[in-house]
Amino acid sequence: MEQITTSLAPPRSSPKVASSTNGGEGAGSVTKRLSNELMNLMMSASPGISAFPKSDANLFEWAGTIEGASGTIYAGLTFRISISFPPNYPYVSPIIKFESPCYHPNVDLAGNICLDILQDKWSAVYSVQTILLSLQSLLGEPNNASPLNNDAANLWDSPEEFKVQLMKYYRPIGNDSA
Amino acid sequence: MATPLGERAFAEHVKSKLDATFQKINDGAPGVSGLAKFTKAWMYGREFLFPRDIRTQERKEFDQEAFKETFEILGKSKQLWRVIETFTQDLRRQLPLIDEEVLEFMRQYQETEDVTIIRRMIMRVAEWWKAWAPVPELGSPIMTAFNMEFQTHFFSILPPTFPSAFKALCASTLGQPADPEMWQTFETLGLLDRYENLVASVCYEQIEARVQETCVGEWSQPMLSQLRSWMADDIVQWMIMPYARAARNPEETRSMLHGVGSRFDFHVCKTLCDLRTTEIFDIIVDFPDSMPALIDLKECLQRVDQRSELVSTLRSLYDHLLIELLANRKRLLHPGADTKDILHQYVSMIRCLRVIDPPGVLLHKVADPVRRYLRERPDTIRSIVSSLVGEGGDLVDENEPIQPLHVQVEDYSDPNWEPEAIDAGPEFRTNKPSDVISTLVSIYDSKDLFVKELQVLLAQRLLAITDGNFDKERRNIEILKIRFGEAALQVCEVMLRDMTDSRRIDQHVQSQKPCLMHPTIISKHFWPPLQTGKLQMPGQYKEILETYSKEFTAFKQDKKLRYLPQLGTLDLTIELTDRTLDVHVPPLEAAVIELFSTKDEWILDDLSKELNVDSSAVRQALDTWVDYGVVSEDKLHHFVLLETSESGSAAGPSRPAAPRTDKSLKEFVGKPAVVENEAAPVMSAQQQEAEQMRVYWKFIEGMLTNLGTLPLDRIQTMLRFAPGYSRSIEQLGVFMEAARREGLVVNTNGLWKLSK
Repeated sequence: MEQITTSLAPPRSSPKVASSTNGGEGAGSVTKRLSNELMNLMMSASPGISAFPKSDANLFEWAGTIEGASGTIYAGLTFRISISFPPNYPYVSPIIKFESPCYHPNVDLAGNICLDILQDKWSAVYSVQTILLSLQSLLGEPNNASPLNNDAANLWDSPEEFKVQLMKYYRPIGNDSA
Repeated sequence: MATPLGERAFAEHVKSKLDATFQKINDGAPGVSGLAKFTKAWMYGREFLFPRDIRTQERKEFDQEAFKETFEILGKSKQLWRVIETFTQDLRRQLPLIDEEVLEFMRQYQETEDVTIIRRMIMRVAEWWKAWAPVPELGSPIMTAFNMEFQTHFFSILPPTFPSAFKALCASTLGQPADPEMWQTFETLGLLDRYENLVASVCYEQIEARVQETCVGEWSQPMLSQLRSWMADDIVQWMIMPYARAARNPEETRSMLHGVGSRFDFHVCKTLCDLRTTEIFDIIVDFPDSMPALIDLKECLQRVDQRSELVSTLRSLYDHLLIELLANRKRLLHPGADTKDILHQYVSMIRCLRVIDPPGVLLHKVADPVRRYLRERPDTIRSIVSSLVGEGGDLVDENEPIQPLHVQVEDYSDPNWEPEAIDAGPEFRTNKPSDVISTLVSIYDSKDLFVKELQVLLAQRLLAITDGNFDKERRNIEILKIRFGEAALQVCEVMLRDMTDSRRIDQHVQSQKPCLMHPTIISKHFWPPLQTGKLQMPGQYKEILETYSKEFTAFKQDKKLRYLPQLGTLDLTIELTDRTLDVHVPPLEAAVIELFSTKDEWILDDLSKELNVDSSAVRQALDTWVDYGVVSEDKLHHFVLLETSESGSAAGPSRPAAPRTDKSLKEFVGKPAVVENEAAPVMSAQQQEAEQMRVYWKFIEGMLTNLGTLPLDRIQTMLRFAPGYSRSIEQLGVFMEAARREGLVVNTNGLWKLSK
């Protein structure tokens, strides 16, 4: 038994290493990973976050929804985001943008997001679900040290004024949905 | 009166001509005696040739001397052409004499449809012809002129019904003794030339009728050879008359019949080929009983180029079939059955088309839609693999040689090499030696999927073996090794080794310390994931497990056992006050009853907690014991041990005897699918449905949350992402409607959205 185990173990693992560098096989495994993530996300029932592929033809483009967590200034507001997975996902982070206007210190007016795990802190162990949860918490706890929206960062400490600005930009989703 | 010069010259000319002619006719005889002789000859000649009404006048006696003299004179005076001309004119005048008779015959025929009337008519006309025909001594020009005149007139008076009547007459001679006289007459009257097509069509129709009569649905014997011998016996005999009358010996007959014969043989092939093409679907269904029909078809196709017809017939058939299957699947919600069916069909088709066309070009052309369909079915691989290992193995022909599953490279040094068929497409790859399984496996781009599925299946089968006889599986693996190669099946090899090693290890452990349990020890990394459960075996089982584990570790120091207790079975003897029960039960049942040996009354939830098992599963186990009459549910979720059977009056005071002795707890891992069933109470089909729909609902919720409003068909296509989704859009519609009634969604103008 031992002999078999030891003699067989290395060849079993080596094709796996090879396959991750192999582009052709990679696409299939990315699709598989995304399918699994979708399944997990659908069955996880985390409140206030959700995402789904935009069309049945392309698993690499998703639309997402984030609700502001209760108790934060964003409570009750819902934002639409877009998630675009690169072909070499999960070795490279997905590109995420706010589609509906979001007045937030770390979100610029075009919807770009400044979040460490989407940039240099990205790791393949993260998933759509963890990203969505991070974004949800980012809403309530912005990183004012590296703002993309300086006005918002400056206003953050005066919640009332911030809320006014927030609501000026906010567009409830659902009206624009196709 | 002065004569103008021109007139005189003209008169001179006429005179000289007249003289010359006179001289010619008079034959230089003195006076006009020559002329008189000529006149006599002319009169005789005309009289001799004159077409009389044969009904009223006898033909004049043919006088050799007088005839010879006459035509000598006429020939000498170079007036023969005039005789012919006069004869032709006379003929034209006289020909209408036959009209009356011909029309009378035709009228009779129309009344009676009796073809002998036509024969009589033709023979009668031939009598006229014979009476009028100039003697052959007069040379062929006059004969030709006569024939032309005669036939032109004859054909012109024939009514439009004649061709069909004539055909009927020809057909009536089939199978009758030869009638050379009639056929000779046909030729004399030019009927054969004129109606050649009709004569041929008699044959064609015979062939078609014969094929219809003898071959329809008759696939179990070779019909082509029968048809050919029928042709040789019946038709060729007949063909001698129209086509080879003039032959003097069999040699000549053969050569004269050769051309027309091969035309008819072609027609035989074509007719049979057409028939078989229309029948092809049923022929395939009937395979292998329909083998002779396929061989016929193959031979026909070599003669007749109808491959493309066959391809298009098959393709449209399969398109229809697939559409039907898809419709069926939606209706029956039963994806398993039709994959097997279609696979079966496909395999029959492979076999059939390989008979017809060994290089596989036809198959390649036809199979595409079927293969695409199969590729999309989730259970195709499973079906193929299970037939590979001999479950429902009608897909695999036992007698077929097992061949390695490698892509064949063209071997040009092969003396039997044949070029690709002419209609092979560019993407056609020669795969001559491939067998059915190779063709099936080639539905998918790689064989890895098969190997994986094979492992799962092998795992199930190995674990289901209780008598320790793995020979069959070993043989399967050996066969599969030939197909898939050693390397691919190494894992399977390890699995097999595990099984035999288990026995060896068990023997060793038992020798150290006898134990009731006989586990199967498997190497985790080489087996497909097995259902793991959290079941904690209580009481004596726990002890057994632990003891065994200890012994094992002593024997294999670097290994640790991890039990999958839910996969075994137990033979228990339960001793109660008034009865003893021998039962064969799954571990959970055993665990439950073990707990009852410590305490007579249990609440469902407590049992569940004690065993670390879902309460619904525990309830199911309890139900087993309720069925055995060992426990009963006296209140909801409250169970008591029936120390004495319920019918036997009062409850006895004694303790339940522990399930004891003869207990062989075999760690026996069942099929994952089966395990699922064991873990959960048997769900009704509706419950399962509801459970699945709960998953789908999550997806629907997800897509509606993120994509806003969607029409039903978009939801249907997006549910592709949900694993195993196979509902029809109608079912989805019903489901959405139910969700709407529950207030989960709203529908405006056919668009669904979440209600918030």
